[in-house]
Amino acid sequence: MKLALKALLVSTALVASSQVAHAQVAGDSRLKTVQDRGKLLCSGHNGSFLGFAEVDDQGNWKGVDIDLCKALAAGLFGKSEGALEIVPISWAQRWPALQSGDIDAVIKVSGWTQSRDTELNLAYSQPYFIGAFQVMSHASLGAQTLADLDGGSICVAAGTSTERALATYLETKAIQAEVLTFENGDELRNAYYEARCDGMVEWAPSLAASRVDAPDGADAHTILPDVLDLEAEGIIVPENDADWLDVQNWMLSSLWFAEANGITSANVDEIKANPPSATIEKFLGVTPGYGERLGLSDDWAYNMIKEVGNMAEIYDRNLGSGSRYNLPRGINALYSDGGVFYPLIVD
Amino acid sequence: MSFAADFPKDSAFNKAKARYFATPTDAVVSALFAAFAVWILWSLANWALLHAVFGANQRDACMATEGACWSVVSTRWRIVLFGLYPFEEQWRSAIACVVMVVVAALSCVPWFWSARRLPPLWIAGFAIFYVLMRGGWFGLREVTEQNWGGLSLTIFIFAAVSLLGMPLAIVFALLRRSDLPWIARTMALVIDVIRSLPLLSIMFTFAIVMPFVLPDWAIGDKLYRVIVGYALFFACYQAEIIRGGMQALPAGQEEAAKALGLTYWHRIGYIVLPQAFRNALPPTINQFVITFKETSLVTIIGFFDVMASGRAASGNADWNFATIEMYVFVALIFFVFVFTLSRYGAYLERRLGVGRR
Amino acid sequence: MAAILKNRRIRDSVLQVAFVATILLTIVVAAITARANLDAQGLTSGFGFLERSTGWRISFSLIEYSTSSPYWKAILVGILNSLFLGAIALPLATVIGVTVGVMRTSGNGMAELVGVTYVETFRNVPLILQLLFWYTLLLALPTPRDATLILGGIAFTGRGIYIPGLNVTGGSAFVATVVVIAGAALALWLKARRWPDLNLVHARRERRVLWGGVVGLAVVAMWIGRIPETSLMSIPEQRGLNFREGIRISPELMACIIAISIYGGAYIAEIIRAGFNAVPKGQSEAGRALGLTNWQIFSRIRLPLAVRIVMPTLINQYVWLFKATTIGIAISFTDFFMVISTAINQSGQTLELIGILMGGFLIINYSIAWVLNRVNDAIKLRGTQLRI
Repeated sequence: MKLALKALLVSTALVASSQVAHAQVAGDSRLKTVQDRGKLLCSGHNGSFLGFAEVDDQGNWKGVDIDLCKALAAGLFGKSEGALEIVPISWAQRWPALQSGDIDAVIKVSGWTQSRDTELNLAYSQPYFIGAFQVMSHASLGAQTLADLDGGSICVAAGTSTERALATYLETKAIQAEVLTFENGDELRNAYYEARCDGMVEWAPSLAASRVDAPDGADAHTILPDVLDLEAEGIIVPENDADWLDVQNWMLSSLWFAEANGITSANVDEIKANPPSATIEKFLGVTPGYGERLGLSDDWAYNMIKEVGNMAEIYDRNLGSGSRYNLPRGINALYSDGGVFYPLIVD
Repeated sequence: MSFAADFPKDSAFNKAKARYFATPTDAVVSALFAAFAVWILWSLANWALLHAVFGANQRDACMATEGACWSVVSTRWRIVLFGLYPFEEQWRSAIACVVMVVVAALSCVPWFWSARRLPPLWIAGFAIFYVLMRGGWFGLREVTEQNWGGLSLTIFIFAAVSLLGMPLAIVFALLRRSDLPWIARTMALVIDVIRSLPLLSIMFTFAIVMPFVLPDWAIGDKLYRVIVGYALFFACYQAEIIRGGMQALPAGQEEAAKALGLTYWHRIGYIVLPQAFRNALPPTINQFVITFKETSLVTIIGFFDVMASGRAASGNADWNFATIEMYVFVALIFFVFVFTLSRYGAYLERRLGVGRR
Repeated sequence: MAAILKNRRIRDSVLQVAFVATILLTIVVAAITARANLDAQGLTSGFGFLERSTGWRISFSLIEYSTSSPYWKAILVGILNSLFLGAIALPLATVIGVTVGVMRTSGNGMAELVGVTYVETFRNVPLILQLLFWYTLLLALPTPRDATLILGGIAFTGRGIYIPGLNVTGGSAFVATVVVIAGAALALWLKARRWPDLNLVHARRERRVLWGGVVGLAVVAMWIGRIPETSLMSIPEQRGLNFREGIRISPELMACIIAISIYGGAYIAEIIRAGFNAVPKGQSEAGRALGLTNWQIFSRIRLPLAVRIVMPTLINQYVWLFKATTIGIAISFTDFFMVISTAINQSGQTLELIGILMGGFLIINYSIAWVLNRVNDAIKLRGTQLRI
């Protein structure tokens, strides 16, 4: 926390000047802090955010974001059990909690915006999810597009980038609608179901999740085709911490790499025993290099896959066919399946 | 009244008549209120009992009925009580809660009302609670504070705030009525300022601002920061209550003690504080009642207390529609605790009041 | 002897200086640490962000506000909303509290039973839960399409409650409100100033003139501020998916008002009851001996005395209730606290915004206490007729 500016400068200089194969982790990097602590503090939720952070009947966290936290912890420490703390925080506390060190990384479906990136001094990893903002409206209203809700009211979550996206969209299309904001996802959905608002803006995955789950049945609601905006959700770490950011990026890349190469939690042991290629051999830590350059153990990717599986598995389990939501993966698939995601090169 | 002689003087009929139908106006008022009460009770019973679904895991039956869906409670009540605590370890959380409730009940027994008995009781109870919840000793699996939740977290925050806030309140009260004008004035200012801030803003500040303001070693977990903030808030209110109790003491008491040559600490410890506490007992109980209720505010700053876990319990794909039932369940939990405590306070007030006259 | 006295005085001074210095030092160290921490993280500090535009909307505002408005304006909207909520909810809580307080001391068993049930139910459940409960209930009202107008202009819908209003500009409504408040203050001040030699007949005539003037001024202000080419009254009517015209009270505001006035009412009822119980029986008996009716005894003797007895307690209760308005954030009523919280999330200027929040509440709460204490001074009884 109390970083001495001098130490920071010295260490960045060190990292820059030492062009050696074994990467030097800066002494004040969050990576070092986390490793010394032996525990990762990851962001949770106060309540539930459907599909990404919710609580099962036994009181365990589950969801896409939670699985990414688990993957990160497993990559850092071999397995997440005992090495991961999910800290419940509210939306409004994401940034202060990260800056104050209450959590090490924000994995809380947070969109990449310029003001967050610059003014708040945050650094984003590559996106792990692309969410479109769409509007769901009551089918009985017969609205075909958002313009049909002119004069109506639209509900949206407070203090998020969704709120801005909606404001901009309404302004450009000159649609007059009352905009209502809600601090809490549960209240937002209730307000919509109780017809407090004609339309509810959410980020498409949770919109579809809410639709499946509607008290009056999924058919009573339509998702309007207007895409208000796209939001690229990334993992957020403090700025000027390249080592810690690298870990996030390579964690995500590894999950896609495993998916592209058909490595799953079920067959990872088998593949590790008989690696089909030198790249995969390196990826799973049979030959050294893949982890060491990041300051991690070489079998870190293996540990992650072993625990949470590849990206497809994470998606299916929490949002896709393995869950009640049964959401098609669409744009969030790998490039080879019509999506926008891709693994980086493992060399 | 002429017909009064026909009935025994304090028959149930006569009593009821005097209370409910003394005059025609009274009779009309009574009938109106009775009709109102019956209407409310009937609607409530209709919703909560007659058309309700009770059994666990009956989502489909719930969707079909217009009554309450208690199924969400019978399926997911453990989340409300224990939050994120590991499922197989929840018995520890349960015992810990029972221990704390027993401690609270014991402190209502007058035998414990002394400086030698009450603090050890609370410290011991709190220690047992902490060891059980946190584990890591005696072969218990370690469960860190991040995984505490539900009712047990609410009780923990309440107990910690009381335990920390009470000594602080005594110190504040003594400083506030110090003979040294600058100490008294500064303390009065601090107390006044904190008392005029909303609790929520104090919790918010301690949760997210303190890490910027404190040196590294003093930051601690968010939970403990908020507890310290809440305890400070509690202490400022309680200090004024204790000071009120001290002011009610006749000046002669302290003067007599001075004349006997007792030191400051002896005077305070043996003469002033015991009597001040006795005077201030009813408002103190009331302060505890308010403190317990307002613990529910921590949900806004991102804790998994009984409110938040209630929302999480109804916040998944299966139970998203049954929010109101969850709120009612959480409200009932609060009611049981708060009502008991406030009834006890009222009883105490009567008892002490009788003693004083 | 002198040496000891001197010694003691020195000791006392040292103690005091040390105490005050410790507190000051803590504040200074905290400020320096904060500075260093912010610098280390490359965060900007200062109040420059107040001029930047916010980019988010606020669903309920008394003044003009848009997404391009600066931060200071958003904060002002929040403060006004909090005050507005307080100005409606606190008087309502008082009305409920006095009614229930009277019910509980009325001697009618049924009224007492209902009163005690009300107080025990609503005092023993946290305010935030009650707020969420009322909000869910309000949202369950029919949609505007299914709702009907009652009493010629009121509609209860899940989208808000619609009532008739006047077609006047916000500015003139504000002026009229200020005139009425100033009139009330003036009346109190006059009364307090002239207490000892009060000429009842003269005072009554003076009061009539004063109130006539105030109402006249208010009406003139509203008339000047009429919105041209509209009818004077604006009555809600169903059009399209919603009601148009009239004044809409949003469910968020309504839930806050209901929750705070019902919760506060339960507390105030207890205070009022204590007040009634503290009015000596002799006072009512004296009234009866003078031949006053029951209503006169209640309205002229028991109520005024009871209110004066409990006024100091009530003042504390009002300040406490006003602080409770911060929970509006739970249902997205954009009060002061919620605006600050959103602003922190959007701008990241945590320390500055928390400072503004604290400062704002200190000023508002001290002002409320100051005003109510002046009211108390104006109406409290001189002499020693009453002892609690």
